[in-house]
Amino acid sequence: MELKADRLTKQYKNKIAVDRMSFSLTEGVTGLLGANGAGKTTLMRLLSGILLPTCGSVSWNGMDVGAEEYRDVLGYLPQHFGYYPEFSGRDFLLYMAAAKGIPKREAVQKAEELAELVGLKDAARKKVRTYSGGMKQRLGIAQALLNDPQVLIMDEPTAGLDPQERIRFRELIAGLGQDRIVLLSTHIVSDLEPIADRLMIMKEGRLLWQGRWAAGNEDLESFYMSVIGGEQTTV
Amino acid sequence: MNNKRLIAQLKKVSSVPVPERKEEFFRTLAQQGLLRRQSVVMNHGEFLAGQLCYIEKWIWLLSGLLLLFIVWLCSRNPGSHPFALTPLLAAGVLLETERSRRFRMAELEYAARFSLRSIVFARMFLVGLMDTAGLLIVVAWVRSYFPYHLLRVFLYMMVPYLTASFLGSVYERKMRTDAGFGSLAICILSSAVFAAAPFVFRQLYEESLTAAWAAAFLLLTVSLGVSVRDHMHEMEEPVWN
Repeated sequence: MELKADRLTKQYKNKIAVDRMSFSLTEGVTGLLGANGAGKTTLMRLLSGILLPTCGSVSWNGMDVGAEEYRDVLGYLPQHFGYYPEFSGRDFLLYMAAAKGIPKREAVQKAEELAELVGLKDAARKKVRTYSGGMKQRLGIAQALLNDPQVLIMDEPTAGLDPQERIRFRELIAGLGQDRIVLLSTHIVSDLEPIADRLMIMKEGRLLWQGRWAAGNEDLESFYMSVIGGEQTTV
Repeated sequence: MNNKRLIAQLKKVSSVPVPERKEEFFRTLAQQGLLRRQSVVMNHGEFLAGQLCYIEKWIWLLSGLLLLFIVWLCSRNPGSHPFALTPLLAAGVLLETERSRRFRMAELEYAARFSLRSIVFARMFLVGLMDTAGLLIVVAWVRSYFPYHLLRVFLYMMVPYLTASFLGSVYERKMRTDAGFGSLAICILSSAVFAAAPFVFRQLYEESLTAAWAAAFLLLTVSLGVSVRDHMHEMEEPVWN
């Protein structure tokens, strides 16, 4: 299983948001780090096939990510998402299941399982508009898992989660990363430290560093700062 | 023959070939896996039927009430021209079309198998189909109240509806943010123009202009089709660009 980016570039008018990035992702959790405006969201949208690159390509097992088949194996959580006001948490999951082409009977079962997994079982029939920020985020995580994705792309998934929810989320992601590609972006370095097998560090649209980060004398925060500061060379 | 020699002989006659095109083989396996996944995915018909229950209830309710109001007006004032009300019916299609954007669901929907385009098209198709069916029923129902041929009643009902739909569709394509209020304003404005038109242009509903109405109907139908096609195409590069 491989998600491959080849000289991936996205330009908006006179701003290059992603600049000639080449990398290959395999099973495991990859953390994408970078300051706000580094191009993380644009990269994630490109990898999800919802943005077309200006040049370069993204492929999954040799298949273009624009293909309908790719969306069958993709779970995506955008940084910001809304909901239809009349929806309960359960309605939201069933709606997303329908959009993912999951038949009704299977969708009902999946929605119940995932609501339980993300701790929304008791609130599943309540309107989403009554949910807290953390609950909405957990609902977003649940919808991304509906189709049992092989590629899971999550943009700032821990935003709005309280410390306990963060721990629970990390456990969930670590489990999911065993047999699928998981890419999650954050600017909170401590969220990645315990779970990321691999790191990618971005700055101003460019990939500054990528590789396996092994905890040694240096903690991840210091390592990240040294890369951003230009003390570490690109890998 | 001792064991060593026997093994050497066996190796010689039945050597295992080195795997060729291994990557392609694994890719094929992955694709076969996908095909199995696809067999449990709902088809387009099921998806379309499923979307019916996600269209807002008030749209069905208001459309039904509006159509009944047209019938009531015709029966109360035979010979009146309630056709100017049909642009208001188009508001339902237009508001459903841009609902994903209004409620910030577009990005999530775009990443799903039946992506944003399919979802928007399904809503547009379902509401448009119901509106057209409703208008046809109304035309058949009220024709006895008019001294016109059935075709003329049909044209007078459909042209204002298509005008508002077309203008609203173009507006929504051009707008990069919430277009709900603008679409609603277009429908109300179209309705007002068609209500005022017979007072300005008294020959509007005369038989001699039937060909012009038919031409307008055809032109608007084609233009709306082109506009919808372009709208779908532009969703390739969605609004958050």
